[in-house]
Amino acid sequence: MIRLENVTKSYSTEVTALRDASFDVAKAEFVFLVGPSGSGKSTLLRLMNRQERPERGAVWVAGRNINEMPDSKVPHLRRNIGNIFQDYKLLTNKTVFENVAFALEVIGRPRHVIRQQVPAVLDLVGLSGKQDRFPHQLSGGEQQRVSIARAFVNRPLILLADEPTGNLDPATGEGIMRLLDRINKTGTTVVMATHDQRIVNMMRKRVIQLDRGVIVRDQARGVYE
Amino acid sequence: MISRLRYTLREMWASMSRNKTLTAATIITSTISLLLFGLTLLIQKGFENQLKLWTGGVEMVVYVKHGATPDQVQLIQGALEGQSTVIENVEYCDEACATEVANTLFAGDQDSLEQLIPKIPSFFKVTPIDKDSGEVLRTLKDTFSELPNVIDVRTPDQQVEVLSQLKSFFGVRTLIISGGLLAASALLIWNTIRTAMFARRREIEVMKLVGATNWFIRLPFMLEGLLQGVVGGFLGGIFMLLINRDWTNGVRAFPVESGLEGFVVTDGYPYMVWIGMIAVGALVGAIGSGTAASKFLDV
Repeated sequence: MIRLENVTKSYSTEVTALRDASFDVAKAEFVFLVGPSGSGKSTLLRLMNRQERPERGAVWVAGRNINEMPDSKVPHLRRNIGNIFQDYKLLTNKTVFENVAFALEVIGRPRHVIRQQVPAVLDLVGLSGKQDRFPHQLSGGEQQRVSIARAFVNRPLILLADEPTGNLDPATGEGIMRLLDRINKTGTTVVMATHDQRIVNMMRKRVIQLDRGVIVRDQARGVYE
Repeated sequence: MISRLRYTLREMWASMSRNKTLTAATIITSTISLLLFGLTLLIQKGFENQLKLWTGGVEMVVYVKHGATPDQVQLIQGALEGQSTVIENVEYCDEACATEVANTLFAGDQDSLEQLIPKIPSFFKVTPIDKDSGEVLRTLKDTFSELPNVIDVRTPDQQVEVLSQLKSFFGVRTLIISGGLLAASALLIWNTIRTAMFARRREIEVMKLVGATNWFIRLPFMLEGLLQGVVGGFLGGIFMLLINRDWTNGVRAFPVESGLEGFVVTDGYPYMVWIGMIAVGALVGAIGSGTAASKFLDV
């Protein structure tokens, strides 16, 4: 589903965010990217949805080299990739329903599809009955569930999560991980960057460890070291 | 398609309502600059009308020496008619005809008639093709004065020259000012759109991440700028029509002998200018917002 071939990414002549990174992620796999701040985890995620382009190497997503993809095709690529962020990135002036519907609306989905899919995904993330609330009326965990619902409502092939439990207490974080695990079991590939040792050790999924832009470990059913 | 249209219009309205002050400032600037643009066109048209009124009767009179033989007159006529690229019509008034004209003009002045008639010159009434150019009239005058047996050539070249200069003076300057103001409008629209996009940078970021195309994101902003330009053109046009009506009423009150009755534009021209102003407003709005929406999409 995702393949990186000798990818190098620099932000300046002095800062190399990734150096010669290569790995494959299979369909429906769950992968943790771990490592200290500045190790290149977020850069990796940004390369996978073409928010960034590497200096060298190739990034393949769903069989296509996305570095060579024309800009006009990038939106279509992103419709197959859901994004989850530590700070949720919810629109504060929109309700829960509107935040999730927004993701369908901006890609031109008709109204009847939106009316059908949004309640279904809110039910999946456990937010039925809260669709008319605004983000500030929700807890952190609930806000992250809205963010997950928005990322998943279009049934993407891949879900990229950047520190999704970073702002949550351990119990709420566990709830979010159970939800991501359920989504993964539907066949969606999940790549998650995290610092959360407890969660990585609890899930026992594949772990790719980065240190100063270099992949230092790639372990199936790994733990945080 | 309908849902996209609904979304675009809703977002455009939301953006305009969010930046009320800036939107109002942009529309006011567009209105003033487009008003000046429209007035420039009306001023030029007014001068054109006045020039037509004056030059409608422009004739060059070539006086022939008293007693010139028919062959000599024929020679002058041939020379005049040979200039068909610059002369529209040549009409000869022989000495009998000239006496008749003199009798009409000096009917109450027997002394002048007695002095004039014994040596009255015949003349050619010459209508030039380009009646607006004092320079052309002067060149013709100089050329025909050199013909044998021609004693004088009279043209209204100076008056035509003054009016042409006035038209050019006002036309160029008002056009420069309105061009500058139109550029200011485009920049203000550009800035409004930039501010609107900055205010909504979080939404735009989310839109891009969930796969909205750049055109889908740009369109509401571009329509916002377009609408500001169109509203500016519409309002500017209303003010222009009111000013034109006021001016027309004022000119009609002038005495007839002032000779300024041509400085009005009363046919359908102001309405055409109004449509033109709306079109220019739309163009300025589209350029301003289009460039801003393209440049600041990576917020």
